[in-house]
Amino acid sequence: MSWPASIQEIIEEFQEIEDQFERLEVLMDFSSEVDELPLEEWNDSNLVRGCQSVAHIEVEIRDGKVWMKAAADAKMVQGLQGILSIAVNGSSPQSVLELTPAFAEEAGILVSLTPSRSNGFRTMFDMVQNSVKESIQ
Amino acid sequence: MKQDFPIFSREINGRPLVYLDNAATTQKPSCVIDAMSDYYSSSNANVHRAVHTLAGEATEGYEECRRLLKQRYNCDYAVITSGTTEAINLAARAWGEYNLNAGDAIVLTEMEHHSDIVPWQMLAERIAVELRFVPFENGLLDMAALDVALQDAKLVCVVHTSNVLGVRNPVEEIIAKSKKVGARVLIDAAQAVPHEMIDFKELGADFLAFSAHKMCGPTGIGALLISGGAFSEMKPFMGGGDMIETVTLQGSTYQSNEHKFEAGTPRIAEGFGWAAALEWISKIDLKSHHSRLLEIARGVSKQLSEKGMTVYSTLNPGDAAVVSFTHPTIHPEDFARLLDAQGIAVRTGHHCAQPLMDKLGVNGTIRASFYLYNDASDAEIFLAGIDRVLEAMA
Repeated sequence: MSWPASIQEIIEEFQEIEDQFERLEVLMDFSSEVDELPLEEWNDSNLVRGCQSVAHIEVEIRDGKVWMKAAADAKMVQGLQGILSIAVNGSSPQSVLELTPAFAEEAGILVSLTPSRSNGFRTMFDMVQNSVKESIQ
Repeated sequence: MKQDFPIFSREINGRPLVYLDNAATTQKPSCVIDAMSDYYSSSNANVHRAVHTLAGEATEGYEECRRLLKQRYNCDYAVITSGTTEAINLAARAWGEYNLNAGDAIVLTEMEHHSDIVPWQMLAERIAVELRFVPFENGLLDMAALDVALQDAKLVCVVHTSNVLGVRNPVEEIIAKSKKVGARVLIDAAQAVPHEMIDFKELGADFLAFSAHKMCGPTGIGALLISGGAFSEMKPFMGGGDMIETVTLQGSTYQSNEHKFEAGTPRIAEGFGWAAALEWISKIDLKSHHSRLLEIARGVSKQLSEKGMTVYSTLNPGDAAVVSFTHPTIHPEDFARLLDAQGIAVRTGHHCAQPLMDKLGVNGTIRASFYLYNDASDAEIFLAGIDRVLEAMA
């Protein structure tokens, strides 16, 4: 499957790493890509349900492009949010809706996580797509 | 001892396995795995009814597990359950429902595992019993508060050894005080029987609940030991095959022994496995291993504190070798994941004891729990793993 260049780059970066510890370090480095959702904007509607750590995601469409803000108390969840930000920020709503979470599997990111975390990634991914759907309806 | 356990020959993420999640479940020695496999390979049949050879072997093997339980823990009644949780639920249903009335008090502690809270909350919903929780401070139960809570209490349910903190409660004193007010006593011994020998009659409790898998036995099997007095007050909770004496369309009569609480085909292979584990552990000097592991845990605890961690375990004499801790900024799940990447298995989260977490003022801890096969080298690898995590997260 072909991916947008920004995602392809992430997939290749992860595929090159053999050591599990290093892979997790790189995942955490992606936390710096998150446009942080300020604490005062955390609420029930942007809470990521079913995630073992506390995580929030807010999506908005500005000038026809998708932008997400996020926050989490665990660094690896922030890293996942960072990767998701790269995948969706600045894209058109249509291209976000066409995206599948399979890129994370292809990169082997989810293999290195517990089921609760990898399900959390899919939940966050679904949350972004559902917000985009609601916004353009 | 690790050579008895096939799992220690494998690597996790390219590193030899260092298993420190023993309070959740322990690893299985070859004799347990072989006993279960042998049962399926050569004796598989249902127990109790049939007269053929295989049924005889299956019955003998399964009942051998009960015999060993009664012998090891000195008790007259051992009901085999799916584990500690089912054992406590059985006590709530088969004893609680028939011996407690609306307004009767059950005394619990804030240190209980969910499996010793929820069944009583469900009973309270059904028959409006009152639940009284004894608080604790710095790992110690408030015994003065216990005295107050005991007034007119009908049942006292206490965890022997905390799965989160490793704290061993003064169960002997609690039982003595409870008996003075005429209350029945249930002890959650899931974390106790793996670490110390218990003489059920000498202890004087009415119910003792525990699981096989925390003492190198299989998952899916456990026991409720019951005193003669409490046993005579219980009525069957689950109906079905194997627990009856006679069945007519007008009604049924039940078996008089433990079988009346074991409806349906029991956990036969697990019974074979647990019997093997009981035989295996009977050759182990638990007392000397306990002292050895407690020393290792104390060393680990000291170093974790020096590295900036908050340690919640007290590690007093008698406590289990469990080190529960948090880091001021690193999320427990991140911590555990980075340890796993180095082949080190620990537990994170609320450990099925949310009220205890509330009391500690945290959402979860990282828990390293040591067992018979762990040694000083595991502790060294664990501490080196911690250093690598701290370095990576600095």
